[in-house]
Amino acid sequence: MYVPEDVNDLLSYLDNYQDTQLIANGSDLINRIQRGQVKPRTLVDLSGLSEFNYVRSSKGTIRIGSLTTIQDLISSPLLGRRYDVFRDVARIFGGPSIVNVATVGGNICAASSSEDLIPVLLVLNAKVKLMSKRGDRLLDLEDFLIGKRQTALRPNEVLTETMFDEIDEQSACAFEKIGIRNSLIIALLNCSVYLKLSANRDIGAIRIATNRVSGKIPSRAKSTETELMGKPLTKETVERSITTLKNELQLSSDFRASKQYRHEVAPVLFKRTLIKCSERLGEKLDV
Amino acid sequence: MSRHLLRFNVNGHDHALVVESHERLLDVLRDRLGLKGTKEGCSTGDCGICAVIMDGRLVNSCLVLAIQARNKKITTIEAVGTAEDPHPLQREFIKWNAAQCGFCTPAMILASKNLLDNNPSPTDQEILEAIRGILCRCTGYYSFVRAVKAAAQEMRKSGIEDHP
Repeated sequence: MYVPEDVNDLLSYLDNYQDTQLIANGSDLINRIQRGQVKPRTLVDLSGLSEFNYVRSSKGTIRIGSLTTIQDLISSPLLGRRYDVFRDVARIFGGPSIVNVATVGGNICAASSSEDLIPVLLVLNAKVKLMSKRGDRLLDLEDFLIGKRQTALRPNEVLTETMFDEIDEQSACAFEKIGIRNSLIIALLNCSVYLKLSANRDIGAIRIATNRVSGKIPSRAKSTETELMGKPLTKETVERSITTLKNELQLSSDFRASKQYRHEVAPVLFKRTLIKCSERLGEKLDV
Repeated sequence: MSRHLLRFNVNGHDHALVVESHERLLDVLRDRLGLKGTKEGCSTGDCGICAVIMDGRLVNSCLVLAIQARNKKITTIEAVGTAEDPHPLQREFIKWNAAQCGFCTPAMILASKNLLDNNPSPTDQEILEAIRGILCRCTGYYSFVRAVKAAAQEMRKSGIEDHP
């Protein structure tokens, strides 16, 4: 294991050595190493780089350092009630001993289909900042995630920050998940929705993401979003969009649940999440 | 395989030892420092049995590489009460039958202690939230809630504040 002294030391090391594996606090990676799914030659320990642990707000943008834990996220005074979506995630993310350790950057880079944080960041239109000795890159999170456990991170890069526009007063965000027990569950399916109401309380903007839109990759349900855009927030509108949603989701089976089951619960989960969003905006949605 | 000097503080004592990259905090506590109170359960972060307090936060010691505990303060069950003078949580766990087979007890006590250190008057829901990451196959969990509530009351009454 290499323990870098500071950011510069880290970037130089990554630039000079091949076959390295970054480790934040390890709650996902240590498991994968024990199972032999990852066989790194050298681990590079980020856990001591406390400069990557922050939540900041400037000029309408929220910036979250990669080493910020889920617990730090929900304790941040900058992420108040309007960001209860992060509390939705934390409540079912795992017990305190996981929430205290798992980091935002680690979750994104693990790029697992069961990550609960990724769909939320997708509907917030998050961007990620990648640093390397050769210069920084800014990527849409959507483009950063390229497959199951695959990201656009280059071997000499490190993800240092995630950022998104602040949620305004007309907008809300929510998250729901279906699993087989109440805590510590890995999602069979999860769903996050961002909803912005227009001046006449119609759907001004909507973004929907699940952890399994296409196979095992978390992504957005864009056809459903397009169909809902500009429509009144009513039972009829939502019911009509369900067909599009079902067609759009290319769900798959695995040992946790069958494709058919996921197809049945997806609309229910979407409606629940949308109801929660509407409630946060003071609207009653009866679907 | 690389070796590292690990300096950290366990239960108020400073330690410096050479560890290998792959050693977990759990291994170092049990096998190198002989602190067998911390139990090994699933080793995948699912059962929470190996929980210890690291810099004031509950963590699974099976999912912390030993070298990542450098410069940290660790509290294990060995620092909580003694046989002659048990911690109020330990007394109430006995009274309410909150320990049966005993395997989850060290983690349950530490999780409860971590809760009470930060919140001296927790609700039932807050107690369940605090211990929900730890699996117990004996009790059905409600005895923990009763025991923690009783301990909290006792600690408030006697003004015990303990942050080792």
